[in-house]
Amino acid sequence: MIVCIAVVGHQNNPLYIQSFTEADDALKLHHIVHCSLDVVDERVNNPKKSGPMLNETFLGLLYPTENYKVYGYLTNTKVKFILVTTDLDVRDADVRNFFRRFHSAYLDAVSNPFHVPGKKITSKTFAERVTNIVKSVSFHTTG
Amino acid sequence: MEHYPEELRTPPVTLACIIGHQDLHATISTHLHSEQPPINTLALPDFSKISVIDRTPKDKEDQLPSAYTSTGIIKRDWLLKHRTRVPAVVAALFDVDQLSGDPVQWQQVCTDLENLKAVIRGRNIKLVVVVVVRFNSKESITEERMVALRKRAEVDAKYVITFIPDDASELNLSLNRLGNIFGELAVTFYRDEGRKVKTRLEKKSYGSIEFNVRYCFKVAIYAEFRRDWAEALRMYEDGYHALREMIGTSTRLPAIQRLVEIKMVAEQFHFKISTLLLHGGKVLEAIKWFRQHNASYKKLTGPTQVNFLHWEWLSRQFLVFAELLETTSATISSPILTVADRTSSDWEFRPAYYYQLAAQFLKEKKKCVESAVSTTSTETDESCDSIVPSLYVGQFARLLDLGETSVMQLITDDDYVLFALTAERKKLGDSTEIIALLKNAYEAYNNSKSQRTASFCMLLMAKEYFLTSDYTNSKLHFDKLTSLYRQEGWVTLLWEVLGYLRECSRKLGSAQDFISYSLEMAALPISSISGLQELKDCGPGGSPSLKQVENIHKEVFAIVREEIVNEEEVMGGMKVNVDHPLHLEIDLVSPLRVALLTSVAFHEQIVKPHAPTLITLSLLSQLPSLVEIDQLEIQFNQSECNFIIVNAQRRESSSLSNIHPDRRVETVPVIQLSTNKWLRLTYDIKSVNSGKLECTYVIARMGPHFSICCGAESPANMNDLPLWKFEERFEASPTKDPAIAFSGMKVTQVEEPDPQVDLKLGSAGPALVGENFLLPVTLTSKGHSVESGELKINLVDTRGVGLLSPREAEHSSSSDNLHVELLGVSCGPTQDNNDNIRKIQQSFGLVSVPFLNVGDSWSCNLEIQWHHPKPIMLYVSLGYSPSSGAPKVHIHKSLQIEGKTPVVISHRLMLPFRRDPLLLSRLKRSPESGQTASLPVNETSILVVNATNCTEVPLRLLSMSISEDDVTSVNKSKTTCTIQSGIDNDPTLLVPGEEFKKVFTVKPELNVSKLHLGSVCLRWRRDHESSKEVVTKQSLPDVNLEFPPLIITLECPPHGVLGEPFTYFARIRNQTKLLQEVKFSLSDSQSFVLSGPHNDTTFVLPLSEYILSYKLVPLSSGSLQLPRVTITSVRYSAGFQPTTAASTIFIFPSKPQFQLSEPEKKSNPADQVPQQIPA
Repeated sequence: MIVCIAVVGHQNNPLYIQSFTEADDALKLHHIVHCSLDVVDERVNNPKKSGPMLNETFLGLLYPTENYKVYGYLTNTKVKFILVTTDLDVRDADVRNFFRRFHSAYLDAVSNPFHVPGKKITSKTFAERVTNIVKSVSFHTTG
Repeated sequence: MEHYPEELRTPPVTLACIIGHQDLHATISTHLHSEQPPINTLALPDFSKISVIDRTPKDKEDQLPSAYTSTGIIKRDWLLKHRTRVPAVVAALFDVDQLSGDPVQWQQVCTDLENLKAVIRGRNIKLVVVVVVRFNSKESITEERMVALRKRAEVDAKYVITFIPDDASELNLSLNRLGNIFGELAVTFYRDEGRKVKTRLEKKSYGSIEFNVRYCFKVAIYAEFRRDWAEALRMYEDGYHALREMIGTSTRLPAIQRLVEIKMVAEQFHFKISTLLLHGGKVLEAIKWFRQHNASYKKLTGPTQVNFLHWEWLSRQFLVFAELLETTSATISSPILTVADRTSSDWEFRPAYYYQLAAQFLKEKKKCVESAVSTTSTETDESCDSIVPSLYVGQFARLLDLGETSVMQLITDDDYVLFALTAERKKLGDSTEIIALLKNAYEAYNNSKSQRTASFCMLLMAKEYFLTSDYTNSKLHFDKLTSLYRQEGWVTLLWEVLGYLRECSRKLGSAQDFISYSLEMAALPISSISGLQELKDCGPGGSPSLKQVENIHKEVFAIVREEIVNEEEVMGGMKVNVDHPLHLEIDLVSPLRVALLTSVAFHEQIVKPHAPTLITLSLLSQLPSLVEIDQLEIQFNQSECNFIIVNAQRRESSSLSNIHPDRRVETVPVIQLSTNKWLRLTYDIKSVNSGKLECTYVIARMGPHFSICCGAESPANMNDLPLWKFEERFEASPTKDPAIAFSGMKVTQVEEPDPQVDLKLGSAGPALVGENFLLPVTLTSKGHSVESGELKINLVDTRGVGLLSPREAEHSSSSDNLHVELLGVSCGPTQDNNDNIRKIQQSFGLVSVPFLNVGDSWSCNLEIQWHHPKPIMLYVSLGYSPSSGAPKVHIHKSLQIEGKTPVVISHRLMLPFRRDPLLLSRLKRSPESGQTASLPVNETSILVVNATNCTEVPLRLLSMSISEDDVTSVNKSKTTCTIQSGIDNDPTLLVPGEEFKKVFTVKPELNVSKLHLGSVCLRWRRDHESSKEVVTKQSLPDVNLEFPPLIITLECPPHGVLGEPFTYFARIRNQTKLLQEVKFSLSDSQSFVLSGPHNDTTFVLPLSEYILSYKLVPLSSGSLQLPRVTITSVRYSAGFQPTTAASTIFIFPSKPQFQLSEPEKKSNPADQVPQQIPA
């Protein structure tokens, strides 16, 4: 299950962050997203280590925590998407697919003429759309 | 790793035992230890001590109930025993004297051997017999004795060796021999032992699964003794898997203790496996193994009352792995991840990650301990004191003291739980440990530049400090976090941290910090995050919501307004009052800018002194509720300008009493700031002093003892509010006028007061090159008296090039480079020379001006000389103080002055009339080529010098002469030529454009190839009385001198009369010493009848003259052309024809009647040339 999805801006500032848990650990998820930015930074700054990933938006698994897996995605405008899931056995292809859909939702949201680039995304439509995507995606591929 | 016993942590080392001959033990032990692989030595002084290596008495096991005996997995001391008490090899050392000779001694040897054999037989320990022999008695031992000894000892011949201690080389040999034999036998021993156990494993001839695990462990340890790491690893893995299977199946012990034992054993297996993998460089495998280990045991928490044991255990797994990784990562380079390994992140290779998780699990454990302690009774059961670790790893038993002996008794799970809890209660050091782990993680993350994760560890540390009520440390750590979260705009994380910080400050009683943190919290952009979802577990700050920020806001302002006096407990004792006034400062980087931002803009960038200008003060606050300010004090760098704005409604509370009475006070009905809305206040302000006027601080007073001092910011370069810059909010400009909002500054420049002194530069038109150009400068004081005035003069090239700064001018030695020079300043009669600064350089001058009263004037003349025609800019600036001590006032004036050439001098050289010397150089080149002119030697030539006035003013020409240059003064004794001029006349006025000519005769007298004519020296002045005389010199070009071989002179009368005959001569003078052949011919003329030779060739004798003479009778009157004679010199192939002018004669129709007073003058044509020929 996806528990948290975040859009992070150029200064590593959160542009949008939403968690989908019933429990009271939303703040913990914020911490996880924040910490995973270290890995994104590292990947972006040392492209040598992650050779074949050059020019790819999908950053793959970023950060293993005990109970979560964190995946990253970097758009061409250097906006980061961070996904936190509780499913520990996930296929990369599914995550890619999710990010692709999320990216297009993000594009629509920032294309809004009333949105100022670099500011937080406050659109309710975007929030609804994200919720729908998250609900529709299931990573239970291995059962 | 310190949790583990030493023998487990280090790889096992072979143990050998030596008995007897105590004096050699140290030597042998040292040598064996330095062997590769090393061998530890158990040294027994004599044979009576051999019981040490005998089988341990089973007394301890006997203490346990028989059912218990077989139920352990691994005995606690088994490994220790094999490392310290059970040798692989025993060496019995005998002296050679004991063997040879005395039968009693031999008997003793045999007994000792027998005893030894009895002890080691059961364990299969290998035996070596060493005979110690002196070097000089090497041969004393007989072969026979040796055989007997071997038979006694029942060993191969090669295991009976001699040892020679008293010779260096022999000793070395002996030691090596001993070492080799020991090594060989030890390998055999451990292999045999291992094989024995392994056979049991393979045959599955073991009673229970515990034995399976135990055997695996033993085989692995034996393999490690032999350094067979692969085998060891395999066996450990087998044992580990077998153990994992036990969890569900074994029913041997009570459930809790069973799980504890299995985990303890698994931990040891896991430790061994990880160590072997990591030391073998297989980091990736180690990490995979660890992951698997973690996965298989993580869920086995056990019953809730003891799950703290599980968390502690799990935490220890991570800690140990982290330590292992840390110690090995130094030697092993970080592995390169292949694409297939994408599932494992590079973070798993970092010890920091494991430290962090270890801390996390330890924290979990702490939580469980707390809940377990709270549910059980607090009374301590002394029966727990008797519970001790039992014989087996991971087992505990009660030690019953039965007088002489003690007995171990099995305990129930309840007892065990109580025991474990009691132990925890006694320990209570978890927090320290958690913090230490987090600190390790923090440092490791920081080293790998993962600042965010490091910060997270810091946060956990700070929280742990907070939980342990160490608020000072907690605050310190929380404080370090804020900057990162502020910078990256993580409002939620910042909120949590600030909440803790606020609480820490409250606990520490720091009102200043409490209010700062509260204000920052209240001004955080909460709306966007609180709209999405409720965040809980945010620490003492509570969940971020609008309501919460409003509460915080209210709380702060209740404190600063001192509205709550009695409810101290609510505020935690925070007080702001007379005894504890509070003053906050907000600078450009302060996080509190969100709470109060002040922008100050002057409406004008430059103002006149004492003239009023407008200043707009704008205040912005992001605090959630209205903020009312009692009083605003605006401070400037010129404190005379400071003023205070008072809120009329709060007049009584604002402490106006301590305000300086002269201070300007403005009153406004109300000063209220609402969220995200600029409060704009515009006032006019008068500056007093010239220079910079800057608004420095705006102090807002709220409540009687609380004030915030904000550094004023310019709207033009105001930074965005941190955190709020990412919010979608309406951003108004600080001032209404967008231009001021865009470019307004908190600084304005106050100009100097207007100068009330006139500075006049009198201009006299263009300057003339060479003259001392005088430029009058006049100062007239109109309203200011001039004190300590200074006049600066600067000459600058108009085009900016060739500008000579004073510095450069000092270096340029010759003034030739200078086009224009400032010669001096001549001051008026008021000038007092003594106490005046005066500094004149070539293009720069500084002159001090005497004191001038109002209405006085002072003037001076600048003397400037142009060396070359060139326009320049003259800058004159006057700096003075209107009164003593007052700031200086400056006036600048500039003037462009042209420098012009006054006269153009040209010259012409001519030959005398009708006298033509043959100049050979003229034949060779075309006459037009502008080469140096040639003059015939000893002939008189004519030099005409022209001077043209090219200025726009009339000039008076005083004289013109040709002077020899100084350079030629050496040759002056020998006169090279004589230059005569006409009569000097009175000064001539030369109007603009007019030309003046003067004729000189030149007669070169010396036969030199080049003649220096000297230079024209023209003395002139401007045509008015005051101007001074100027000498302009222009040197004439050099001329070539030539010796003319032939000179032709035409002679005829100046005029003729119609019908009257006259003679016409052409004299050809040969000046050479050669015979000259000359051809001549005469062309006829219609106007004359002539007689004489027509054409012929003739010879002119050396140094003589040939005369062609013609008699001519003019046939008509007027200006007539004489018959032209053409003369050709054959030798020089030079032809001569007189010019038209030379062969023209005027014929009067009848004899004219002249009145000639001086007829002889006519005869000299050279003198007839007029001296002044107007153009």
